Amino acid sequence: MAEDHSNVTNHKRTEDKNVQPTLDQPIDRRSFIKWASIGWAAFAAGLAGYGTIILRYLFPNVLFEPKQSFRAGFPKEYTVGEVSENLKDKYGVWIVRDSEKIYALATVCTHLGCTPNWMPNENKYKCPCHGSGFYKNGINFEGPAPRPLERYKISLNDDGEIVIDKTKKFQQEKGEWKDPDSYLMA
Amino acid sequence: MSDSNKKKEMWEKIQKNQIFRAIFRTGGSITTHKQRVLVTLNNVFLHLHPVRLPKHAVKVKYTWCMGGLSFFIFLVLTVTGILLMFYYRPTVEYAYGDIVDLSEQVPLGLMREIHRWSAHLMVITVWLHMFRVFMTGSYKPPREFNWAIGVILLVLTMLMSFTGYLLPWDQLAIWAITVGANMAKATPFIGSAGPGSSLLAIGDVNFVHSASDAGFAMLGGRFVGEGALLRFYVLHCIGLPFVIMLFMIVHFWRVRKDGGISGPT
Amino acid sequence: MEQIKDFINIISAPQISFTAIILLFFFIFPPNDLFYKIHRGLRIHKLWTKGGGITIFSFLTIFFIFGITDQNFRMIVTKPDNVPIVALLYLVVFFLWFSLKQAYDNDKRIDEGKGPNEAEDAKQKVLVWPDLVYIELIAMVSVAALLLVWAVALGAPLEEPANPTVSPNPSKAPWYFLGLQEMLVYFDPWIAGVLFPTVIMLGFISIPFLDNNRKGSGYFTFKERKMAISIFLFFWLVLWIFLITTGTFLRGPNWNFFGPFEYWDKHKLVALTNVNLSELFYMVWQNKQLPSNILLREMPGFLLVGAYLGLLPLILAKTLFKKVYERLGPIRYSVFIIFLLIAISLPIKMYLRWGFNIKYLVSIPEFFFNI
Repeated sequence: MAEDHSNVTNHKRTEDKNVQPTLDQPIDRRSFIKWASIGWAAFAAGLAGYGTIILRYLFPNVLFEPKQSFRAGFPKEYTVGEVSENLKDKYGVWIVRDSEKIYALATVCTHLGCTPNWMPNENKYKCPCHGSGFYKNGINFEGPAPRPLERYKISLNDDGEIVIDKTKKFQQEKGEWKDPDSYLMA
Repeated sequence: MSDSNKKKEMWEKIQKNQIFRAIFRTGGSITTHKQRVLVTLNNVFLHLHPVRLPKHAVKVKYTWCMGGLSFFIFLVLTVTGILLMFYYRPTVEYAYGDIVDLSEQVPLGLMREIHRWSAHLMVITVWLHMFRVFMTGSYKPPREFNWAIGVILLVLTMLMSFTGYLLPWDQLAIWAITVGANMAKATPFIGSAGPGSSLLAIGDVNFVHSASDAGFAMLGGRFVGEGALLRFYVLHCIGLPFVIMLFMIVHFWRVRKDGGISGPT
Repeated sequence: MEQIKDFINIISAPQISFTAIILLFFFIFPPNDLFYKIHRGLRIHKLWTKGGGITIFSFLTIFFIFGITDQNFRMIVTKPDNVPIVALLYLVVFFLWFSLKQAYDNDKRIDEGKGPNEAEDAKQKVLVWPDLVYIELIAMVSVAALLLVWAVALGAPLEEPANPTVSPNPSKAPWYFLGLQEMLVYFDPWIAGVLFPTVIMLGFISIPFLDNNRKGSGYFTFKERKMAISIFLFFWLVLWIFLITTGTFLRGPNWNFFGPFEYWDKHKLVALTNVNLSELFYMVWQNKQLPSNILLREMPGFLLVGAYLGLLPLILAKTLFKKVYERLGPIRYSVFIIFLLIAISLPIKMYLRWGFNIKYLVSIPEFFFNI
C-alpha cells in the first residue's frame, strides 16, 4: 500500500509542469506495464514475422536438379548373380539381378550418404567413410549404417526396356521391398 | 662529428614538420613516462589495451600470446580471403578451375596456401588459447560470460573453416560437406532422416522431407550442388565473418570490463 | 626393427591404446587426493620438470624420426593436410608440459606459504607501450614469417574435381572434426553429429557455472583444482586430441584401423558383424523371435539407457560422488552428472562394440531412432 501511495504522489507531481521529472523517479506502474507489454508484443510479432520470411526464403519452389527418371537397357543385358556398375557414375544406382528378381539399389550409404564401393571378391558393398558394409541385396551387416540401402522404383516401358524412377524409394525396414514396384520379375 | 649532428638535426626537423605532427600526435621520440602513456591513449588500436598492466600479464609464459595471435591470424585470413575473392567464382562450372588457376596463372600465387595454412593454424591457436584460459582458471567469476562468448567464437571458427572447405570443389570438399549435411539431415524432428521427423505429418503428408528439412536449408538442394556452393560461399565470405566480428567485439570489450586479463588476487 | 614396428602396430589398435591411456590417465592427472598420493608416490610429477620435459620431447622426436624411415608412416605424416596435426601434437604436448610445470612450481610455492609466481610478478606494473607492444610485434612477425615459409614449402592440396558418384577411400572430414567422425563409427548420426556437438558446446559454456571452486583463478595451479583439471584434460586430451590423431593417422581405406607402420590395404578384411541389444536379448539369450511390438522389442535398451541417465546419478551422488554432490548442491550436480554421463557414454559404447559387437542399445530404424 505504501508503495502505491508514493507512486500516486509522484504521478501527481509530474503533472505539475514546473517540476521536471528526475532520473530516479519511478515510472507510473500501470502505464509502464501497458507500454512494456505493447512494446514486447510488437517486438515478438515483428521477430516472428521476419523469422518466418527468412525461414521460408531458404526453401525455393523450383529446384534445378538433374532428371530423376531414366532408362536402363533391357533385362537380358544383366547377368544373373551380378551387380552392374554401369549406371553408378551417371545415375547413382546399382542394378542387381539375382535368380528371380532385378532391382535398383541406391548408391547412397544410409549412414551419412557417402558412395559405397562394390567389392566383387568380398561380395559386399563397403562404404569408405565409416566402414559400413552391405550384402549384395543391400542389407546392412557391419559398421554404423543403421538400415539397408534403399531401392528405387523399377518398371518396364512399352518397348520392354527397364525404367528407373528415383523419386520413389523403397525401404526394407518398413517392409516396402515386398512392393511389386520395387523389383522386376525376370 | 658533423655527421651525427646532421642526423639529429634532420630528425628534429622531421618531428616539427606539420604532416608528421598531424599523424603522430605524441611526437617522434617517446622518452618520458607521460609520453608512453599517451601513445596508448592516443591510438585507437592500442586503446584495446589498458595503459598499465600488472607484469605477469605481459609475460609470454602466462598468456602464451594465443588470444592475440588468433586475432592476428583472423586478420591475415581476412586479407588473403579478400584477395582470393578477386579470382574465384562460386559456381560448379568455374570453381575448381579458378582454384587451379590461382596457383598456375597468378604470379606468386601463394594466397591460397597462406589462407589454408592460416585457417589450420587459427583452429590450433584458438584451441590453445582456450586451454590456457582453462589452466589459469580465468573463466572463474567475474569472467563466466566471456568464457561463454569464447566457446561460441571457437564454434564459429570451426564453422568458418568448414564452410571454406567446400569452396575448392574437389573430392575432399564435397565429401566432407556431404557427411556434414547428412548429419544435419539427422537432426531430431527438423531433419528428414532424424528421429521424430516422421511424426510431424498429417495423414500421408510429411512436413519434414528431403526438400524441407535442416539439411536442405543448409545446402539449398537435396545434395551438395550449385546451391550448396553458393550458400557456403556467402556464409564463408560475409555471413560468418560478420557474426564472428560481432562476437569478437563483445569478447574484447568484456576482457576489459571484467577487470582486464585475469591474475592472482 | 620390424619387430618394434609390429609391436607398435599391435599396441596402437584402439582397443589396446585407448584402454592403456584411460588406465594411465588418472595416475598422470589425478582427480582426487587418493590418486594424487599415488601420483606423487610413483614420482610421476617429475614429468612436469625440466628433465621430464626433455624426456617427453626426446621420446616424441625419436618416435617421429624412427617412424619417418618407414614408408607407410612417412606417407601419412608428410601429407600436406596432416602436417598441422603433427604440429598440433607437438604444441599440445609442449603446452601441456609448460602449463603443468608452472602449476607444480606454484603448488610448491603455495605449500611453502609464498603464493604463486604470478602474484610476485603482479606486484609490479608495466606500461603497454613499450612492454606489451614489442612482445605483440615479435609474435605477429614470427607467425607471419612462419606462414610464409609454410606456404612456400607446402602447396595447398587439391584433389580431383568433385564427383558426386565416387567417394574417395577413405573419405575424411576436416581434421578438427575427426573426433566427431570417430564418434560416428559408434553412434548414430543424430547423436554423434547433433547431440554430442550440442552437449560439448553447452558443457563447455557451463564450466564456469559448475566449477564453484574459487581457488586457482588467475594463476597456474594443479593441486588446488585437481578434479576440474583432470576432467577437462580427460575430454580434451583423450576424447578429442587422441581421437583426432587416431582418425588422421590410423584410419585407412574402408575406415578400417591400420597401425602407423601398416600398409593401407584396400582389401583388408575385418569382421565387423554387429548385433543389436534386442537381438542379443531375445534371439541369443532366450532363443525366441523378436517381438513385433517395437516398444516391447526395445524395452531392454530403454530400461538400460533410462537407468544409466536416471538411476546412476542418484547412486553416484550417494557413493562415489558424495563429496562432489555436497560441494555442488543438487542443481549443479544434476547438470554436471548428466553432461558427464553423456560424455562417458562414448567410451562405454566403444567397449560395448569391441567387447560384445553391440551395435545399438535401442534400435528403431523405422523412426530413425537408434542409440
